[in-house]
Amino acid sequence: MAPGRINYPQLLETNALIQQLSDESYWLCVTRTVQESKLFPVSPYMLLSYFMAFYRYPELVRKVDRHLPAEHIGDRMRNMGIKCANPAMGWGLPSFYLLGREYMINLGLLRPADALHDLIDVMDFWKRFQLGWHRNDGHLANSNYGHRAQILPERRLQVFHADMYECRQGDALHNAAQAFMAAASQYGFLISCESRISLCNSGPYRLSDTRELIVRDYMDLSESDFPWLDDVARDIAYNNLTVPIAVEGCHIYLMDDWGSFESEPEFKSHHVVGVGLYTSDSLSEGYLPVAMGSRDELTHAFTDLTANIKIATSKLWKRIAGWTRDQMIDAGAITYFAIAKDIAHVAGCYAVEDWMMVDERAERFRPLLNDEYSNAFLGELVGTMTNPSQRINEYSMMKHADTPTRMFSHIPYAVLDGGDYTRTVGAMRPGHSHLEAKQDRYTTSQGVLSLAEYNRRARTHTPAACSPRFRHLCETWLKYHYQSPVAHELYCIEQQHSRKLAGRGAGLTQADIEGLRDRL
Amino acid sequence: MSDYYADTDKFGDEATSPLVEAFHSAVKDLVRQRFAASGRDWASFVFDGAQTAITAEDFAAIDGRMLALGHRYTWSAQVSVAERPEAYKPAAGLHDSLASFSFEHPEAVLGAVDAQGWQTCGVGDNVVPFEVDLVGTARYVRSSAMVLEMLNQGVPPGTIAVIDDSGGTLTAPILEQFTGVLCAGGTVRSHLGILTREYGIACLMNAKLSGIRDGDTLRLETTARAKTAAAYQQGREMTARVWRLCQ
Repeated sequence: MAPGRINYPQLLETNALIQQLSDESYWLCVTRTVQESKLFPVSPYMLLSYFMAFYRYPELVRKVDRHLPAEHIGDRMRNMGIKCANPAMGWGLPSFYLLGREYMINLGLLRPADALHDLIDVMDFWKRFQLGWHRNDGHLANSNYGHRAQILPERRLQVFHADMYECRQGDALHNAAQAFMAAASQYGFLISCESRISLCNSGPYRLSDTRELIVRDYMDLSESDFPWLDDVARDIAYNNLTVPIAVEGCHIYLMDDWGSFESEPEFKSHHVVGVGLYTSDSLSEGYLPVAMGSRDELTHAFTDLTANIKIATSKLWKRIAGWTRDQMIDAGAITYFAIAKDIAHVAGCYAVEDWMMVDERAERFRPLLNDEYSNAFLGELVGTMTNPSQRINEYSMMKHADTPTRMFSHIPYAVLDGGDYTRTVGAMRPGHSHLEAKQDRYTTSQGVLSLAEYNRRARTHTPAACSPRFRHLCETWLKYHYQSPVAHELYCIEQQHSRKLAGRGAGLTQADIEGLRDRL
Repeated sequence: MSDYYADTDKFGDEATSPLVEAFHSAVKDLVRQRFAASGRDWASFVFDGAQTAITAEDFAAIDGRMLALGHRYTWSAQVSVAERPEAYKPAAGLHDSLASFSFEHPEAVLGAVDAQGWQTCGVGDNVVPFEVDLVGTARYVRSSAMVLEMLNQGVPPGTIAVIDDSGGTLTAPILEQFTGVLCAGGTVRSHLGILTREYGIACLMNAKLSGIRDGDTLRLETTARAKTAAAYQQGREMTARVWRLCQ
């Protein structure tokens, strides 16, 4: 935020955003999977990542915002499945920062009135990104939409719908896709040090009265940002893969801000009746089809990817099994902290020193982080909310919990009167890592690039749909102008790589799409 | 000291965990002392002073005092106890012989041996129902050394992996080779539950077990209904049985 005094509307809005994240974080943490591992010290690395977020996110979001405003990055995100998706920006960026803040308050190292410019900047960046990204569904987050994420425009959904191949349990494509998704999920957990943040689901979208579409992203698969994937992931040709999945016979009734879903009846592999495969990143013109030329080509691609992923899984596991505790903690903490790193790739200002290092101010807390303390404190921080700062007046009943608690402290409004607050933790400080240095190899949709070249190309690349000519041609405008030449042009951009829709334009209905599809 | 905000919290109380409270009280004592010694007001102390006045050595000293009192930490990651055995409680069944090791859950229900020699030795939450129950050989898989051995030598056919790690990373390179999984932790939604479902491997999570020795023949009631999200939320038991074959 600009230098100067904080005002009342700013505080009202920031506290409302804090409270939304407080409520939703509690619900997510008590209803989703408890993350456990005998391999990784999970709770210690989570806590370290919260300190890292607290100290570095404010400066990093300001840096990114200077290169490309948050709402523009949100617009770009509607065109790709990279790690700015739900777990990262929908929840991780603001919540990791707030968890670090709350941790510091309970250590006696911070008041709720400290670092307020930092706090307001992080929340404001998050809000603008989310509103841009969720522009089509008109919500701030999945939780505001009753846990649903309808991010994509009609033109992209039509391509996914038209080009996906039908499959049934037991056939070659179904088997190959299922094997790929199992192997990629497992690899994703390993890449991300036991967390699920390499995976994200969004949707659902209605395909028919009996079918729904889930869009599943597998992210950071190849040699790119994480030093621990250098060499071991060299044979994985795509850093990000997106699988549109048509499901029949079950309704996806919940898609949360961690990118996981619930269905009725419970989702099983036989519910999958159609799949596709795409890649994308900050240099691509939206989603690029992968092996979508024929059913056989797609089947073989899934099989080949699965084989390469299994080899990479074994290599990576052996590397990790040889790590020290400090290396495991660094990798986990960096994975968590860098959950939002792709905003810097989109903006073309990514730096290894920014995202792949443990800040020296966070590093000093490491001696506290034994397994027992970390598990116990994390349980109190996000589960029972029994830390001193989280207890509020006895008449209160927190959303979902019904207890007089609040996960994240509000900013006291009295700072408007006396000015007794601090603005910022200050500029970036050095960091370090116990891990091997990152090699200068980044797998992108334009080949393997050096980081300098990757940033250069990102700064000069604007996807056509996000160019000034098309950026504001939203779904509401298109509803009334679909017959216009510019609408036709916009749809044709999205359709340029489509097997079924190339050049068809903006006038197609869902029934038209269904009629164009291949049958079994 | 009235200027220290943590001393005037109307609703705040001690943390529930004694260890958390001990650590946090020690840190606050430290901050209180350094803040007073600094002679500054809070606004100038909090980022300019505290970041250099409170160091890693201070936090290491707090850890050291806890250990000097005789406390030993409960470990959750093997690497923690392996690197600092003096700081953690001993780990059984990891590096010593498995011949005499077994998971012993206080709520495990042991049944009588039936005519075919099967004895109920626990229950678990079924991840996915199968058409027949699963019979196989119990093999404890609890450490990366065990995983590496199986990775190099191959997983014996018919292995039902008996695991206490509900994560998806420890057994990552060999999981697909298991015939079944019996996990003494987590829920059907844990990463291990998710992966076994995707691989089509029979799996019981959150298992409460007793008396299973490495090499025992086991039968898992994988025909039981899968435990639902509603059952977890309502605290409703919905379990599948586990039997061991008594010689």
